[in-house]
Amino acid sequence: MLILHHLEPWHWAVAGAAIGAITLLLLWVTNQRLGISTGLENLCALAIHPPYLRRREIAGSQRWRLPFLAGLVLGGFLSAATSGGWAPLWDLGIFDAVIGWGPFGKLAWMFAGGCLIGFGTRMAGGCTSGHGIFGISNLERASLESTLCYLATGIATSALIYGFGAVR
Amino acid sequence: MSPLVYLAFGTAFGFVLSRSGAADYDVVQQMFRLQSFQLYGIIGVAVAVTAPGLWLLRRVGRTATGARLEVKPKPRHPGNLVGGAIFGIGWSLTGMCPGPIFVNVGEGKLYALAALAGALAGAALFSLLYERLVSPLRLPALEHGPGDG
Repeated sequence: MLILHHLEPWHWAVAGAAIGAITLLLLWVTNQRLGISTGLENLCALAIHPPYLRRREIAGSQRWRLPFLAGLVLGGFLSAATSGGWAPLWDLGIFDAVIGWGPFGKLAWMFAGGCLIGFGTRMAGGCTSGHGIFGISNLERASLESTLCYLATGIATSALIYGFGAVR
Repeated sequence: MSPLVYLAFGTAFGFVLSRSGAADYDVVQQMFRLQSFQLYGIIGVAVAVTAPGLWLLRRVGRTATGARLEVKPKPRHPGNLVGGAIFGIGWSLTGMCPGPIFVNVGEGKLYALAALAGALAGAALFSLLYERLVSPLRLPALEHGPGDG
């Protein structure tokens, strides 16, 4: 299994411990609960102002969620830059091998999937970070239930597209 | 707290997501196709570290700066299930959950910009429809929202 620039990914125990440490430090130092999907609404609130995006949680979290999201982009950039150099990429692993759509089809596919991510995570009130890591760690039933749902449909969707066995 | 502190936290989180495989399309497909333990292991260890730490922090009840520690649990409603199910399809299609969308943009993966545009469109649509979804999905009142994270 190789990722970006043919790196071997970190061992899951190391990566998991690092994510746990960051989650705890974020809470201890800044009093913020880890969660990323609300940040999509913070970005939307820069452009549109329906009543839902004028609620207190959004106005009150612009100053932390927006720089946090910028940091995610910067972290990805630094990871690429320190592992063989940053370069624009179109490669998409087994998507290219099995489905093989060109750039325009790939963009349409990604846009459609992105719509489901934005709509679904906000309806669910959280994503892998806010529900899957923080919520489950805090023994919240809503988070456990939501996590089981997105893992189930993720497994079903990938099975439909690629099957469970080796790539065709 | 300075925005630079949050920028630093985001940068560290993004770097780890990038190097862990969580922002890699093939690694995500291997997770969903039950061919690799990598991402299940990461989420499991992250929870195993966070849960006892969280318990301890809540017991102490104070942040590093001495403020009262606040952990607001998320509301439970049918949207957790329906929205989660919709999100899982999107995660499988793109190979990205919300954090890795931003990480992939930073890594230079051009198609991630389309995923980001879609995620913003989806969130915007949900924002505009919220009042109409409250009753069928028994969502919390508008001023509380569906849960933040």
